[in-house]
Amino acid sequence: MVKQATKMKRLINAIWIFNWFNSCGFTELIPLVGSRWDMERFGMIITGSPRQADVLFIAGYQTFKSIKRAQIIYEQMPDPKAVIALGACTMSGGMYWDSYNTVKRLSDYIPVNMYIPGCPPRPEAVFEACMKIFHHVGAVPPHGKKFAKSQSK
Amino acid sequence: MTETPGKEDKLIEKISSKFKIEGKVQRERRIWVATDKESLIALCNFAKGLGFEHLSAISVTDWPEEGTFELTYHLWSYLEKILLTIKTKIDRANPVIDSVVPIWNESAQIHERELHELFGVEFKGNEDLAPLFLEDWGGPPPFRKDFNWRDYVREREYDKANEREKAYWE
Repeated sequence: MVKQATKMKRLINAIWIFNWFNSCGFTELIPLVGSRWDMERFGMIITGSPRQADVLFIAGYQTFKSIKRAQIIYEQMPDPKAVIALGACTMSGGMYWDSYNTVKRLSDYIPVNMYIPGCPPRPEAVFEACMKIFHHVGAVPPHGKKFAKSQSK
Repeated sequence: MTETPGKEDKLIEKISSKFKIEGKVQRERRIWVATDKESLIALCNFAKGLGFEHLSAISVTDWPEEGTFELTYHLWSYLEKILLTIKTKIDRANPVIDSVVPIWNESAQIHERELHELFGVEFKGNEDLAPLFLEDWGGPPPFRKDFNWRDYVREREYDKANEREKAYWE
Protein backbone atom coordinates (compact mmCIF):
# COMPACT_ATOMS: atom_id res chain seq x y z
CA MET A 1 0.00 0.00 0.00
CA VAL A 2 2.87 2.35 0.84
CA LYS A 3 4.48 1.60 -2.46
CA GLN A 4 1.25 2.30 -4.25
CA ALA A 5 0.82 5.57 -2.38
CA THR A 6 4.31 6.69 -3.40
CA LYS A 7 3.51 5.83 -6.95
CA MET A 8 0.27 7.73 -6.79
CA LYS A 9 1.94 10.87 -5.52
CA ARG A 10 2.60 11.60 -9.12
CA LEU A 11 -1.07 12.42 -9.41
CA ILE A 12 -0.62 15.28 -7.00
CA ASN A 13 -2.58 18.47 -7.50
CA ALA A 14 -5.12 17.70 -10.15
CA ILE A 15 -6.76 14.55 -11.32
CA TRP A 16 -7.68 14.18 -14.92
CA ILE A 17 -10.82 12.21 -15.39
CA PHE A 18 -11.93 10.10 -18.28
CA ASN A 19 -15.64 9.32 -18.30
CA TRP A 20 -16.96 6.02 -19.56
CA PHE A 21 -20.66 5.61 -19.17
CA ASN A 22 -23.54 4.18 -21.08
CA SER A 23 -26.40 4.66 -18.72
CA CYS A 24 -28.16 6.83 -16.17
CA GLY A 25 -25.45 6.54 -13.51
CA PHE A 26 -23.84 9.57 -15.08
CA THR A 27 -26.78 11.99 -14.79
CA GLU A 28 -25.62 13.63 -11.57
CA LEU A 29 -22.13 14.13 -12.96
CA ILE A 30 -23.36 16.61 -15.53
CA PRO A 31 -24.23 19.33 -12.96
CA LEU A 32 -20.82 18.57 -11.46
CA VAL A 33 -19.18 20.17 -14.47
CA GLY A 34 -21.47 23.19 -14.39
CA SER A 35 -21.22 26.30 -12.26
CA ARG A 36 -23.17 25.10 -9.25
CA TRP A 37 -20.83 22.31 -8.16
CA ASP A 38 -17.92 23.24 -10.43
CA MET A 39 -15.50 20.34 -10.09
CA GLU A 40 -12.56 22.26 -11.52
CA ARG A 41 -12.08 24.27 -8.35
CA PHE A 42 -11.00 20.98 -6.71
CA GLY A 43 -8.63 20.19 -9.52
CA MET A 44 -10.84 17.65 -11.24
CA ILE A 45 -10.56 18.06 -14.98
CA ILE A 46 -12.26 16.06 -17.67
CA THR A 47 -10.00 14.88 -20.42
CA GLY A 48 -11.01 13.69 -23.81
CA SER A 49 -8.63 10.79 -24.13
CA PRO A 50 -7.68 7.93 -21.84
CA ARG A 51 -3.97 8.46 -22.63
CA GLN A 52 -3.93 11.59 -20.47
CA ALA A 53 -6.28 10.37 -17.78
CA ASP A 54 -5.46 9.54 -14.16
CA VAL A 55 -8.88 8.43 -13.07
CA LEU A 56 -11.48 6.44 -14.93
CA PHE A 57 -15.11 7.03 -14.00
CA ILE A 58 -17.34 4.14 -14.92
CA ALA A 59 -20.93 5.17 -14.44
CA GLY A 60 -23.87 2.82 -14.34
CA TYR A 61 -24.22 -0.72 -15.61
CA GLN A 62 -21.96 -2.04 -18.30
CA THR A 63 -23.19 -4.41 -20.94
CA PHE A 64 -21.10 -7.36 -22.06
CA LYS A 65 -20.32 -5.42 -25.20
CA SER A 66 -19.29 -2.16 -23.56
CA ILE A 67 -17.19 -3.79 -20.83
CA LYS A 68 -14.73 -4.93 -23.49
CA ARG A 69 -14.30 -1.33 -24.61
CA ALA A 70 -13.92 -0.25 -20.98
CA GLN A 71 -11.11 -2.77 -20.56
CA ILE A 72 -9.34 -1.37 -23.61
CA ILE A 73 -9.70 2.15 -22.20
CA TYR A 74 -8.33 0.99 -18.86
CA GLU A 75 -5.31 -0.52 -20.54
CA GLN A 76 -4.67 2.66 -22.50
CA MET A 77 -4.42 4.77 -19.36
CA PRO A 78 -0.90 5.39 -18.05
CA ASP A 79 0.10 4.28 -14.56
CA PRO A 80 -0.67 5.33 -11.87
CA LYS A 81 -4.36 5.08 -12.42
CA ALA A 82 -7.51 4.69 -10.41
CA VAL A 83 -10.96 3.40 -11.31
CA ILE A 84 -14.05 4.78 -9.63
CA ALA A 85 -17.36 3.05 -10.21
CA LEU A 86 -20.53 5.06 -9.82
CA GLY A 87 -23.95 3.79 -8.96
CA ALA A 88 -25.61 0.75 -7.50
CA CYS A 89 -25.55 -1.07 -10.83
CA THR A 90 -21.77 -1.37 -10.86
CA MET A 91 -21.79 -3.06 -7.46
CA SER A 92 -24.58 -5.59 -7.64
CA GLY A 93 -26.37 -5.09 -10.92
CA GLY A 94 -28.87 -2.80 -9.19
CA MET A 95 -32.28 -2.94 -10.78
CA TYR A 96 -30.74 -4.96 -13.61
CA TRP A 97 -29.81 -7.85 -11.35
CA ASP A 98 -31.72 -10.29 -13.58
CA SER A 99 -30.79 -8.79 -16.92
CA TYR A 100 -29.20 -11.22 -19.33
CA ASN A 101 -26.89 -8.63 -20.86
CA THR A 102 -25.39 -6.53 -18.07
CA VAL A 103 -22.34 -6.93 -15.90
CA LYS A 104 -23.27 -7.69 -12.30
CA ARG A 105 -20.02 -6.92 -10.48
CA LEU A 106 -17.69 -4.54 -12.20
CA SER A 107 -14.68 -5.69 -10.17
CA ASP A 108 -14.93 -9.09 -11.89
CA TYR A 109 -13.81 -7.35 -15.06
CA ILE A 110 -11.79 -4.28 -14.06
CA PRO A 111 -9.78 -3.53 -10.89
CA VAL A 112 -12.06 -1.02 -9.16
CA ASN A 113 -10.51 1.22 -6.50
CA MET A 114 -13.68 2.77 -5.18
CA TYR A 115 -17.39 2.25 -5.46
CA ILE A 116 -19.73 5.19 -4.97
CA PRO A 117 -23.21 4.07 -3.97
CA GLY A 118 -26.31 5.85 -5.18
CA CYS A 119 -28.84 5.64 -7.93
CA PRO A 120 -27.34 7.82 -9.31
CA PRO A 121 -24.69 9.08 -6.82
CA ARG A 122 -25.04 12.68 -5.69
CA PRO A 123 -22.32 15.19 -6.71
CA GLU A 124 -21.27 15.45 -3.07
CA ALA A 125 -20.57 11.73 -3.01
CA VAL A 126 -18.37 12.06 -6.08
CA PHE A 127 -16.50 14.91 -4.41
CA GLU A 128 -15.94 12.81 -1.34
CA ALA A 129 -14.56 9.98 -3.44
CA CYS A 130 -12.14 12.32 -5.19
CA MET A 131 -11.20 13.88 -1.87
CA LYS A 132 -10.21 10.41 -0.69
CA ILE A 133 -7.92 10.10 -3.67
CA PHE A 134 -6.31 13.45 -2.83
CA HIS A 135 -5.87 12.35 0.79
CA HIS A 136 -4.41 9.07 -0.29
CA VAL A 137 -1.79 10.62 -2.52
CA GLY A 138 -1.06 13.33 0.02
CA ALA A 139 -2.04 16.33 -2.04
CA VAL A 140 -4.51 17.50 0.56
CA PRO A 141 -4.22 16.57 4.23
CA PRO A 142 -7.20 14.83 5.80
CA HIS A 143 -9.40 17.09 7.87
CA GLY A 144 -7.63 18.37 11.02
CA LYS A 145 -4.22 17.10 10.00
CA LYS A 146 -1.17 18.83 8.66
CA PHE A 147 0.28 18.16 5.25
CA ALA A 148 2.07 14.90 4.80
CA LYS A 149 5.85 15.09 5.11
CA SER A 150 6.54 14.50 1.48
CA GLN A 151 4.53 17.56 0.59
CA SER A 152 6.69 19.93 2.64
CA LYS A 153 9.70 19.40 0.37
CA MET B 1 -60.01 16.85 -41.49
CA THR B 2 -59.04 17.89 -44.97
CA GLU B 3 -58.36 14.34 -46.17
CA THR B 4 -60.65 12.99 -48.84
CA PRO B 5 -62.82 10.26 -47.34
CA GLY B 6 -62.54 6.69 -48.44
CA LYS B 7 -59.00 6.76 -49.76
CA GLU B 8 -58.14 3.96 -47.39
CA ASP B 9 -60.87 1.75 -48.89
CA LYS B 10 -59.68 2.56 -52.40
CA LEU B 11 -56.20 1.47 -51.47
CA ILE B 12 -57.39 -1.82 -50.05
CA GLU B 13 -59.38 -2.41 -53.23
CA LYS B 14 -56.29 -1.71 -55.31
CA ILE B 15 -54.27 -4.22 -53.30
CA SER B 16 -56.95 -6.91 -53.12
CA SER B 17 -57.58 -6.70 -56.86
CA LYS B 18 -54.04 -7.94 -57.35
CA PHE B 19 -53.53 -10.20 -54.36
CA LYS B 20 -55.83 -12.62 -52.57
CA ILE B 21 -55.54 -11.08 -49.13
CA GLU B 22 -57.70 -9.78 -46.35
CA GLY B 23 -57.37 -6.09 -45.60
CA LYS B 24 -58.96 -3.90 -43.00
CA VAL B 25 -59.24 -0.19 -42.42
CA GLN B 26 -58.35 0.05 -38.79
CA ARG B 27 -59.08 3.74 -38.56
CA GLU B 28 -58.35 6.90 -40.48
CA ARG B 29 -55.00 6.64 -42.28
CA ARG B 30 -54.31 3.19 -40.84
CA ILE B 31 -54.59 0.01 -42.91
CA TRP B 32 -53.90 -3.56 -41.90
CA VAL B 33 -53.18 -6.22 -44.46
CA ALA B 34 -52.50 -9.87 -43.72
CA THR B 35 -50.65 -12.06 -46.17
CA ASP B 36 -48.70 -15.29 -46.31
CA LYS B 37 -44.96 -15.45 -46.51
CA GLU B 38 -44.83 -16.61 -50.15
CA SER B 39 -46.51 -13.49 -51.52
CA LEU B 40 -44.87 -11.06 -49.10
CA ILE B 41 -42.13 -9.89 -51.45
CA ALA B 42 -44.54 -9.39 -54.34
CA LEU B 43 -46.89 -7.45 -52.08
CA CYS B 44 -44.06 -5.30 -50.73
CA ASN B 45 -42.92 -4.51 -54.27
CA PHE B 46 -46.47 -3.61 -55.20
CA ALA B 47 -46.86 -1.41 -52.12
CA LYS B 48 -43.68 0.43 -52.91
CA GLY B 49 -45.01 1.06 -56.38
CA LEU B 50 -48.13 2.58 -54.81
CA GLY B 51 -45.99 5.12 -52.98
CA PHE B 52 -45.10 3.35 -49.76
CA GLU B 53 -41.45 4.18 -49.98
CA HIS B 54 -40.70 4.54 -46.30
CA LEU B 55 -40.27 1.42 -44.17
CA SER B 56 -40.61 2.71 -40.62
CA ALA B 57 -40.19 -0.53 -38.76
CA ILE B 58 -40.25 -4.29 -38.83
CA SER B 59 -41.35 -6.07 -35.70
CA VAL B 60 -41.79 -9.65 -34.59
CA THR B 61 -44.47 -10.91 -32.24
CA ASP B 62 -43.92 -14.27 -30.65
CA TRP B 63 -46.93 -16.59 -30.31
CA PRO B 64 -45.57 -19.70 -28.58
CA GLU B 65 -49.00 -21.39 -28.17
CA GLU B 66 -49.69 -21.06 -31.89
CA GLY B 67 -46.13 -21.94 -32.79
CA THR B 68 -45.72 -18.88 -34.99
CA PHE B 69 -43.80 -15.67 -35.31
CA GLU B 70 -45.85 -12.77 -36.62
CA LEU B 71 -43.83 -10.33 -38.68
CA THR B 72 -45.20 -6.82 -39.04
CA TYR B 73 -43.98 -4.35 -41.62
CA HIS B 74 -44.97 -0.73 -41.11
CA LEU B 75 -44.93 1.27 -44.32
CA TRP B 76 -45.56 4.97 -44.70
CA SER B 77 -46.63 6.78 -47.82
CA TYR B 78 -45.60 10.40 -48.10
CA LEU B 79 -48.09 10.87 -50.96
CA GLU B 80 -51.20 9.39 -49.37
CA LYS B 81 -50.17 9.93 -45.75
CA ILE B 82 -51.27 6.44 -44.86
CA LEU B 83 -49.59 3.88 -42.63
CA LEU B 84 -49.86 0.46 -44.21
CA THR B 85 -49.23 -2.48 -41.91
CA ILE B 86 -48.41 -5.77 -43.54
CA LYS B 87 -48.64 -8.82 -41.30
CA THR B 88 -47.40 -12.26 -42.06
CA LYS B 89 -46.95 -15.41 -40.01
CA ILE B 90 -44.07 -17.83 -40.19
CA ASP B 91 -43.34 -21.12 -38.52
CA ARG B 92 -41.70 -20.75 -35.14
CA ALA B 93 -39.65 -23.92 -35.44
CA ASN B 94 -38.28 -22.90 -38.83
CA PRO B 95 -38.27 -19.10 -38.86
CA VAL B 96 -37.07 -18.36 -42.38
CA ILE B 97 -38.38 -15.53 -44.54
CA ASP B 98 -37.23 -13.64 -47.60
CA SER B 99 -35.46 -10.40 -46.89
CA VAL B 100 -36.92 -7.07 -47.98
CA VAL B 101 -33.46 -5.51 -48.27
CA PRO B 102 -33.65 -5.55 -52.11
CA ILE B 103 -36.76 -3.33 -51.82
CA TRP B 104 -35.96 -0.87 -49.03
CA ASN B 105 -32.18 -1.27 -48.78
CA GLU B 106 -30.45 -0.02 -45.65
CA SER B 107 -33.55 0.92 -43.68
CA ALA B 108 -34.66 -2.70 -43.83
CA GLN B 109 -31.19 -4.06 -43.21
CA ILE B 110 -30.80 -2.73 -39.67
CA HIS B 111 -34.26 -3.92 -38.61
CA GLU B 112 -33.69 -7.41 -39.95
CA ARG B 113 -30.32 -7.57 -38.28
CA GLU B 114 -31.87 -6.68 -34.94
CA LEU B 115 -34.70 -9.20 -35.29
CA HIS B 116 -32.25 -11.90 -36.22
CA GLU B 117 -30.34 -11.14 -33.04
CA LEU B 118 -33.33 -10.98 -30.69
CA PHE B 119 -35.69 -13.59 -32.14
CA GLY B 120 -33.45 -15.75 -34.30
CA VAL B 121 -35.46 -15.12 -37.47
CA GLU B 122 -33.46 -15.97 -40.57
CA PHE B 123 -33.79 -13.40 -43.37
CA LYS B 124 -32.83 -14.98 -46.68
CA GLY B 125 -30.98 -12.48 -48.84
CA ASN B 126 -29.71 -10.24 -46.06
CA GLU B 127 -25.97 -10.46 -46.19
CA ASP B 128 -25.02 -8.95 -42.83
CA LEU B 129 -26.92 -10.45 -39.91
CA ALA B 130 -24.11 -10.00 -37.36
CA PRO B 131 -25.30 -9.28 -33.81
CA LEU B 132 -25.63 -5.64 -32.80
CA PHE B 133 -25.35 -5.88 -29.03
CA LEU B 134 -24.98 -9.52 -28.08
CA GLU B 135 -21.38 -10.23 -28.88
CA ASP B 136 -20.26 -13.70 -27.81
CA TRP B 137 -23.83 -14.61 -26.92
CA GLY B 138 -24.20 -18.30 -26.20
CA GLY B 139 -27.82 -18.51 -25.12
CA PRO B 140 -31.07 -18.69 -27.08
CA PRO B 141 -32.46 -15.55 -28.74
CA PRO B 142 -33.42 -13.49 -25.70
CA PHE B 143 -36.71 -11.93 -26.83
CA ARG B 144 -38.44 -15.25 -27.39
CA LYS B 145 -41.24 -15.78 -24.93
CA ASP B 146 -39.99 -19.17 -23.79
CA PHE B 147 -36.58 -17.80 -22.82
CA ASN B 148 -36.50 -17.51 -19.04
CA TRP B 149 -33.93 -14.80 -18.61
CA ARG B 150 -34.08 -14.89 -14.82
CA ASP B 151 -33.12 -18.56 -14.62
CA TYR B 152 -30.47 -18.00 -17.26
CA VAL B 153 -28.90 -15.15 -15.25
CA ARG B 154 -29.10 -17.06 -11.97
CA GLU B 155 -27.22 -19.99 -13.43
CA ARG B 156 -24.55 -17.80 -14.94
CA GLU B 157 -24.04 -15.04 -12.38
CA TYR B 158 -25.13 -16.07 -8.92
CA ASP B 159 -23.86 -18.67 -6.51
CA LYS B 160 -26.49 -20.36 -4.37
CA ALA B 161 -23.95 -21.28 -1.72
CA ASN B 162 -22.81 -17.68 -1.35
CA GLU B 163 -24.44 -16.05 1.66
CA ARG B 164 -24.66 -12.68 -0.05
CA GLU B 165 -26.19 -14.01 -3.24
CA LYS B 166 -28.57 -16.53 -1.72
CA ALA B 167 -31.43 -14.02 -1.78
CA TYR B 168 -31.43 -13.94 -5.56
CA TRP B 169 -32.49 -17.59 -5.59
CA GLU B 170 -35.48 -17.14 -3.34
